[in-house]
Amino acid sequence: MKGRGGPISLYVHIPFCELKCAYCDFNSYAGLEELMGPYVDAVCREAALWSQAMGRLAVRTLFFGGGTPSLLPIPLMERLLGALGKHFHFLPGCEVTLEANPGTVGLQYLKGLAMLGFNRLSLGVQSFQDDELQALDRLHTARQAEEAFGWAREAGFRSINLDLIYGLPEQPLERWQATLERAIDLGPDHLSLYALTVEEGTKLAYQVARGLVPPPDDDAQAEMLEWSLERMAAAGYEHYEISNWARPGHRCQHNLAYWECRPYLGLGAGAHSCLPAGDGWVRFWNVYSPRRYIEALAASAGPPADVVAGHVPLSMPQVAGGEVVDLDGAMSEFLIMGLRLSEGVSLEEFRRRFGRELLEAFAGPVTELSDLGLVEERDGRLRLTRRGLLLANEVFVRLL
Amino acid sequence: MAFGMEQGLIRNFCIIAHIDHGKSTLADRLLELTGTLSAREMGELVLDDMDLERERGITIKASAVRMTYRARDGREYELNLIDTPGHVDFTYEVSRALAACEGAVLLVDASQGIEAQTLANFFLALDQGLVIVPVVNKIDLPAAEPERVAQELCDTFGFRREEVLFVSAKEGAGVHELLEEVVRRVPPPSGRPEAPLRALVFDSKYDPYKGVVAYVRVVDGHLDTRRPLRLMATGRRLEPLEVGYFRPSPTPSQALVAGEVGYVATGLKTVGDCRVGDTITWDDTPASEPLPGYRPPKPMVFAGLYPADAEEYGSLRDALEKLKLNDAALDFEPESSLALGPGFRCGFLGLLHMDIVQERLEREFGLNLLATAPSVEYRVLTTDGQELPVRSPAELPPPTKIAEIREPWMHLSVITPDRYIGAVMELVTSRRGEFVRMEYLEHGPSVREGERRVLLEYRMPLAEMLVDFYDQLKSRTQGYASMDYSFIGYRPGRLVKLDILVNNQPVDALGLLVPADKAYQVGRALVEKLKELIPRQLFDVPIQAAIGGRVIARETIRAMRKNVLAKCYGGDVTRKKKLLEKQKEGKKRLRRIGRVEIPQDAFLALLRLQR
Repeated sequence: MKGRGGPISLYVHIPFCELKCAYCDFNSYAGLEELMGPYVDAVCREAALWSQAMGRLAVRTLFFGGGTPSLLPIPLMERLLGALGKHFHFLPGCEVTLEANPGTVGLQYLKGLAMLGFNRLSLGVQSFQDDELQALDRLHTARQAEEAFGWAREAGFRSINLDLIYGLPEQPLERWQATLERAIDLGPDHLSLYALTVEEGTKLAYQVARGLVPPPDDDAQAEMLEWSLERMAAAGYEHYEISNWARPGHRCQHNLAYWECRPYLGLGAGAHSCLPAGDGWVRFWNVYSPRRYIEALAASAGPPADVVAGHVPLSMPQVAGGEVVDLDGAMSEFLIMGLRLSEGVSLEEFRRRFGRELLEAFAGPVTELSDLGLVEERDGRLRLTRRGLLLANEVFVRLL
Repeated sequence: MAFGMEQGLIRNFCIIAHIDHGKSTLADRLLELTGTLSAREMGELVLDDMDLERERGITIKASAVRMTYRARDGREYELNLIDTPGHVDFTYEVSRALAACEGAVLLVDASQGIEAQTLANFFLALDQGLVIVPVVNKIDLPAAEPERVAQELCDTFGFRREEVLFVSAKEGAGVHELLEEVVRRVPPPSGRPEAPLRALVFDSKYDPYKGVVAYVRVVDGHLDTRRPLRLMATGRRLEPLEVGYFRPSPTPSQALVAGEVGYVATGLKTVGDCRVGDTITWDDTPASEPLPGYRPPKPMVFAGLYPADAEEYGSLRDALEKLKLNDAALDFEPESSLALGPGFRCGFLGLLHMDIVQERLEREFGLNLLATAPSVEYRVLTTDGQELPVRSPAELPPPTKIAEIREPWMHLSVITPDRYIGAVMELVTSRRGEFVRMEYLEHGPSVREGERRVLLEYRMPLAEMLVDFYDQLKSRTQGYASMDYSFIGYRPGRLVKLDILVNNQPVDALGLLVPADKAYQVGRALVEKLKELIPRQLFDVPIQAAIGGRVIARETIRAMRKNVLAKCYGGDVTRKKKLLEKQKEGKKRLRRIGRVEIPQDAFLALLRLQR
């Protein structure tokens, strides 16, 4: 982690959804709308606790994720941002992102967001094929996605991301190509293209286990990713992370904080935080259930004395658990996260942060992986090869 | 004589039957009727005292129970019921149990009729010169056809109609009558009480306190604890610790005299020293001739047993040694495999024996085993005139040194309703079987076409029976067929060694001997199956089947193309890292063939491949 007292990234989790999607394993819930008010109040209290414990931290990026943050009405959003502004110090040029689902946002709402200071919008489009959207349990249509994009531009968003999913069960390459072409036609500033993954406990996992739906085909997904790499480059997007592309100047600063292992604080139910500790860092997470999160913060008087005294903040009332990542763990996480980036990791940066030589500390695995053609070291950086990109887990497993 | 029963009042008999024809139930009922056990104590089948036997509905180890029966003639008889193992693998053990008797109750299910083991057991009993009492059982069942089955017994074995008894062992009907007929028809023993001791060992068990307990039938002389004894075949001397009989629990007595059945605790350390079929005699004045028929146990089926975890090698050895204490037929020697590490090549009497040993190792000793596909013992004649026993394809000399390969052949009998003749013929001939003869067991107009039971006899290589033959026979005849087999001898065959190469490296555990004209077909099927089982690696993996360096079938497992977590953001790190750690743990437990990594369960499936 970069030095204590430096700026952090701030994440706010909004766990509400209209409907839980078939593939989604995030901490999100449909049918809890009546909790929105109390929930926002709880997040405000959490922000206050942190500022009481650690002072008014400087924030370089802010990200509202979910769930569907765009379900929060403007007045609640305003209350929340007001509290955050009071308890944190937002640096000039701070990237402020909101995740939104097409169909939940209108022009007026988007204008409201822009007025509140949001300057980046991430739209969960997933597909431009209505039958695919239905299979994924998405509540919007392709047309609505295009509409939402248009309104976002009209509302003044200069940085817009679209999330897309490829490699759906039995999806032919051509249909993925059609989806991506329509996305490119809209001219977004950033695209996240995710291979469909069967996550434990999701509806999709159940369907696959019961044989109702074939599992995603790795070869087909590999082919789609390879095609997308070419197509996106031709369209002028830089591939900067395994699943992320951006026009120059539009990389997501918030997400880069995760991959570069910079400190972040997560507010809200189930949100994860990672702060410097010892020669590594400490990662901890809040209670998952929105109700229990609200209760935990309602009961709290103030921040625990040990946190105020600068100890690892696991005794905060909303925290459910955490783990201390020691030097060895931190070095390996630094590689596993950093190698996701197209630029890879800098040997110099590694030396600066850990006081060790990357190529010495990981001599065995790096040699093996180079021999396998999965990583390469060039210009003072270690990065995945094109083949390694598709087999990144094989790389990561060996770096653990 | 000062002690023991007058021989004229002794009857030694056994019950022979096809599996599930009700042997244990009848034995139960006999014990109950003779007051040897009360009905309350009859909760469980007494004669089968191993869990495994009860679960499988078979008897692995014979035992013997003494009953006292007051017959209608007013005299009290000593009836010794000797149980026989119910499976074809234990033919020799059955023959020794039969040799301890003068009579046999031939039990046939009233709804099933004669089955292959009925036939085999009948002829074994006939060979021993036993008086056979034919009994139709389960006459209470709705599907029972007692008359038809009685007729079948007469047609097949030449009984007279009035000799056949009808019982329901379950309900007790006809069982008294049966006891009367046993007393009346089975002759009493006719040994020489004054001659030197000759006692036939027909079973033995290891007891941690008394050492090996031999189950014996005293033929001549008498057996007590005062005189040292000697086993005539193995030459072992012993001081008997205890003599007695089963009622059904062990009951010590002063002595066993000519004609009686019981046990002697020998103090010996392993059943290998006191083998079934051996003759016990006095050490000081031995009998001049042993009883006929002794044969050392001869394993017919071989398989490599390996610990799933190489660190359990020592435990596996200990477990095999412990089992061997009680199982003279189990044979094992250390063996080492490139793919499997150190293990043992084990010899078994047959497939069932192999299953039982494996299951006991896993269940009683908590071992996790890898077993190679079963094999037979081949005899290889080398070009320089030697004859080598080969129990594993890996032991084969190079092809240029082989003059001839011989393999064991079996005589196979199958009994089935005649509508399945075609299906059985097809199955047997597809496995190199040769048709010998066919005989209808039922005649006359009373039986409909297609329902008539027929006996089919074949010669067939044992190797062809090892995998899936019985299951196939059952499924192709919808469960109606029964089978029995016995060893006839070695015959030369056109066999070739098929090597399986994974990533250009031969895998010893997968090599096999196949008939030359089937090699292509088997090789193709195997490489295709392997392609399914072996997960994709980071590089292309060729899978080949080869004969002496010539590749006859090939598949390629294409290199893995994609294995990547699509998303990894702040909230995912902990969970995704756990996932990766799990993968890493999994990698440690992988089996390796050269650079190719195979998960344990896939490796097991690979070893169990149907050849």
